[in-house]
Amino acid sequence: MISTQTDPVTFSLGPLLRGEAEVIAGWITRWTAGHTLRQVALIATGAGAFGAAMGSWRAPEQAAFAAVKLPLILLATAAGNALLNGLLAPLLGLNLRLREAFAAVLMSFALAAAILGAFSPLMAFLVWNLPPLTPGAAENVTAYSVMLLTLVAVIAFAGVTANVRLLQLLHRLAGGARGTAARLLLAWLAVNLLLGSQLSWILRPFIGSPGLPVEFLRAEAWHGNFFESLLNTLRQLWPEF
Amino acid sequence: MNESNLNPPPGAAPERSPSQPVLPTLPAAVFADTLPAPPPLPAAAHAERSLGEDPGDRVPIRGALGVIEAVLRHPRRVVFHLNQGSDISRLVGLLLLVALGFVAVYGAIVGSFSGGEQWWAAPLKITAGLAVTAGICLPSLYIFACLSGSAARLGEVAGALGGALALATLLLIGFAPVAWLFSQSTSSVAFMGALHLGFWLVATGFGVRFLKTAFRHFGLRSESGLNVWVVIFLLVSLQMTTALRPLVGPFDQTLLPPAGEKKFFLAHWMDSMEADGRKAPARGAAANRGD
Repeated sequence: MISTQTDPVTFSLGPLLRGEAEVIAGWITRWTAGHTLRQVALIATGAGAFGAAMGSWRAPEQAAFAAVKLPLILLATAAGNALLNGLLAPLLGLNLRLREAFAAVLMSFALAAAILGAFSPLMAFLVWNLPPLTPGAAENVTAYSVMLLTLVAVIAFAGVTANVRLLQLLHRLAGGARGTAARLLLAWLAVNLLLGSQLSWILRPFIGSPGLPVEFLRAEAWHGNFFESLLNTLRQLWPEF
Repeated sequence: MNESNLNPPPGAAPERSPSQPVLPTLPAAVFADTLPAPPPLPAAAHAERSLGEDPGDRVPIRGALGVIEAVLRHPRRVVFHLNQGSDISRLVGLLLLVALGFVAVYGAIVGSFSGGEQWWAAPLKITAGLAVTAGICLPSLYIFACLSGSAARLGEVAGALGGALALATLLLIGFAPVAWLFSQSTSSVAFMGALHLGFWLVATGFGVRFLKTAFRHFGLRSESGLNVWVVIFLLVSLQMTTALRPLVGPFDQTLLPPAGEKKFFLAHWMDSMEADGRKAPARGAAANRGD
């Protein structure tokens, strides 16, 4: 077997993907602006490429919009919850500094973005093979289902992998205390999902309905919220809900 | 429970019964003389040597013929040279060139079924299709390899994929005479499509074996991620045959199907089989006339 030596200081994709907890813990504790910039660039490239592939099904302009919006959600979630995540860490038993908590969350987002970026050529190939989105076309229903299922599978894979790596990192930073690491991960997941889902709601559409114009934000972007919409959908399905 | 089955407490020697005779201590030489030497452990006997330990691993790979010999007979040599890092781009280029060259030849055999424009269109589309499939699947292969613990760099991953494709397409060349013979003696598009598909699956199986060998040397801890990637690669390559249709059947005015005619590969196969089924009675009558 081949052994490779990894520079413990420089941020690179390989150790991040392999989950080399010691190297990643080194990045978190010896935080530099360079690391943050590289992670931001990785998020912009990976999530941007995936957004572009996804949006290209609707129109080239939609591809450009989604390429900006998807990384924006990840970065805005990390930045918007930086203080809360930093406060939750010591409260739940892991004495991380604010910047360490931010770096850990950003690292997991960068990993998810790298995976999304790697799948973006496959998404583009899928889009190439799907019938174009046209208003009222019956074949759109099947194509939309295929697209939705693929998106859910890829995003779920990226999200789960990133969180497994984050859990391994927190476990190490917590000195092997599994309970502390799991509690903190759950808390971070809850607050990041809360903010991330609402940001996604505001920044919709990512693919766009064929009957509506292509635009960066819907006119009613700031009306309602993700959970309200979810509740309304459930009420339509089960009126007694 | 029988007390004698219990282990004695640590540190305390078990008490000897007065009736128990004292046995003399046998010298170690007695055992050495009477007992045969234990056979080597099977694991140790079959343990894989590390790269470069075998002098055959270090033999330079020169030219296309060297690449063909290495992927077929000495896959470890390819992995060793990929790992060395020096001139890796030349080796990766050679592997891909061999793969694309072989698949172009096999493409001509595919095109020989319909003839005419398909003599050049089929090899062109099949070669381009393989290159695009490899290109769009390479990033996810790198990601899956790293997630499974592999320390391979992108160049090494590209080389491993190139080696797998070179081996798979080399096997296709081996199948080519059989494919050509069937091409000339049958008029069923569905049958020929199934035959080429079968050959491609067998060839891919050997390519995957090469890939797994390479990644074992690159430190892969688990093959599950690689297995998921193989499924993705197969799906992409099968869909590519539909996106670039027709490959087996007659040339249809344009190189690619019209933009509005998007199909999933399973739907395309069903349609092809139905169309072929409608032509079957006429083919049967023609065949019987020849009896």
